[in-house]
Amino acid sequence: MDLHQLTRRRFIVSVIALSGVAGSALRPGLIPVSQAWAESVSPLDDSIRAAMVRMARLLFPHDALADDVYAELLDRALSDAAASSEFAEHLEAAAAALERHSGGSWRALDEAGQIDAMRSIESEPYFAAIREHVRAGIYNGAAFWKHVGYRGPSKGFGGYLHRGAGDIDWLPEDE
Amino acid sequence: MAKTYSLDDDAVVVVIGSGAGGGTVSNELAQSGIDVVCLEAGNRLTLADVVNDAAVMHQKMTWLDKRLGAPVWLCKTVGGTTMRWSGMTPRFRDFEFRARSTYGALDGTNLIDWPLTLDELLPYYDKAEAKMGITGTHGMPASFETSNYKVMKAGGKRIGYREITSRRTAINSVARDGRPACQQIGFCWAGCAIGAKWSTLYTEVPKAEATGHFELRTGAMAVKVKHDASGKVRSVIYADADGVLSEQKARAVCVAGNVVETTRLLHNSQSTLFPDGLGNSSGHLGRNYMRHVMNLTLAVMPGPVNFHRGTRQSGLILDEQRYDDSRGFAGGYIIETAADQPYGIAGFVGGWGRDSAEFMDNYNRIAGCWITGEDPPEAENRIVFHDTERDAHGLPVPVLHYREHPNSTAMKQHAERQCESIYESLGAEQILSRPDAGSGCHNMGVARMSKRPEDGVTNRWGRLHDVPNLFVSDGSVFTSSGAPNPTLTIVALAIRQAEHIASAMARREL
Repeated sequence: MDLHQLTRRRFIVSVIALSGVAGSALRPGLIPVSQAWAESVSPLDDSIRAAMVRMARLLFPHDALADDVYAELLDRALSDAAASSEFAEHLEAAAAALERHSGGSWRALDEAGQIDAMRSIESEPYFAAIREHVRAGIYNGAAFWKHVGYRGPSKGFGGYLHRGAGDIDWLPEDE
Repeated sequence: MAKTYSLDDDAVVVVIGSGAGGGTVSNELAQSGIDVVCLEAGNRLTLADVVNDAAVMHQKMTWLDKRLGAPVWLCKTVGGTTMRWSGMTPRFRDFEFRARSTYGALDGTNLIDWPLTLDELLPYYDKAEAKMGITGTHGMPASFETSNYKVMKAGGKRIGYREITSRRTAINSVARDGRPACQQIGFCWAGCAIGAKWSTLYTEVPKAEATGHFELRTGAMAVKVKHDASGKVRSVIYADADGVLSEQKARAVCVAGNVVETTRLLHNSQSTLFPDGLGNSSGHLGRNYMRHVMNLTLAVMPGPVNFHRGTRQSGLILDEQRYDDSRGFAGGYIIETAADQPYGIAGFVGGWGRDSAEFMDNYNRIAGCWITGEDPPEAENRIVFHDTERDAHGLPVPVLHYREHPNSTAMKQHAERQCESIYESLGAEQILSRPDAGSGCHNMGVARMSKRPEDGVTNRWGRLHDVPNLFVSDGSVFTSSGAPNPTLTIVALAIRQAEHIASAMARREL
């Protein structure tokens, strides 16, 4: 790991400690990610962050979802002080491994080349950790739900009984 | 209303567990005027605690203490796994009580017939269905037909199935018994948010409390059952949430901790008289562990289904619940609708990359079904205990050994072809099947009922062959697994067992 990156992450952790914000209270809803550090002081090197946003998309590539959706779910994990250090290490390890398997610049490869490099590290524990985080973030996320018309928790609006539970109009009319 | 009993009160029946078996046997005994102390390891939630969030409810309800080997998916909460069940309540069929006579020995299995017949259990199935409000019985209308069910029904008909029904679900189709009708909320495995689905948390437990003959102790983890020199059980030792031990005297004990905890408690109650565990003179305790054959099929259909709208399991196909060895296996299986939230489905789809994502892009067009099928008993499919590892209560960590019998493999392959055909018949664009999805939620055996004491652990009433006043009241007593989701049969057996206990007490035999 590059000393510059390590120092940078420690800096962020110190900021959290100094500001007196407990990890458990630090949620995107309380402090907008973009204002906190997603843009200004991400614990990740910019090029690593960009590579990981790209990798997140290639893990679960939904053309209907903007890059912001993938970026935000990574930043959300990094903004959770309790988990950020370990998760940042996973991202840094993945980025470094992808560079190694690409002979220099993974992001410069075409999509097939990028996927080949990902395949070569897919059995690594850090890859699995990132994959599962992205899977949870995408499929529990509002953007994907909107994309597929999933309305989510329904207790609050009285369930689907009168909201399409039995609606289907394409089944054949068999005798 | 709710009563309290002293630890020295030796007239009480102690029931361990408050789920389908324990909750039911508690209430049935209390209704007969018998005093009951129910020890429940988990906490008591209210409907206000139930939220439409699988991850949150997982933390609130799941039994998370360490277990090794084959994974199980059980609950530690008042209501037990009736807080996390589909509500599907098919009955056993006659041949399923006579598995050994019907199937033959089946190489490698330990198959025997049940020591009771369908005819004997029928009145109790009837009582269980009346108690639970099963759709299509006792005036309860059939369940609402979700779009996912309509797809399964249409496809099932096309491939020749006849027994396709939206009856046989323990979810109110109309308001009944102080509980509302189902609003098709979904999230059924995370607890029914309005109590439309039967759970002992808000049926048997409060009804038992209303009799004035019942005390529920929560956070009470039973660790040992003690007996006297004659071999009759006399008390139960349990730990509270802080680990402080208490000893409750008892006239009789009913154990209903689901297979893992039932085995562990009896194992842990070993003594000079019962050196291999309480009631284990046959050596069968913990053996013949069965967990149903399961397989999930998801299909991208030509048009929208939106299977998240409504109950996950809203109907079933019973045609394959029969004995027909021309299919290449013994025993039957039942096909049931299945659905899940996007994240759950993404987990079943698995993998990563374009193929996985494209399947998920079609989430609104996915239809799904799942099977539960008979799993034969094997001696080496068993629950044992780790030599050195101990949990927070100092109890040995359970280790679950499970290996699939070739009969189950053949059944799964047959079921997969059938389920895929259902959707192919309607022009499905993509289909994937996932073997063993949901495996570990149906658990049976380990203290099976047998006619001969050397063949099992309990008799036809679920009483230990070796002990005159200790009963097993959960799915552990199943002699063979049959195909059906086990809850209805557990409840029917618990009603029957409570009646037996009450009459034995009235005759002063217990």
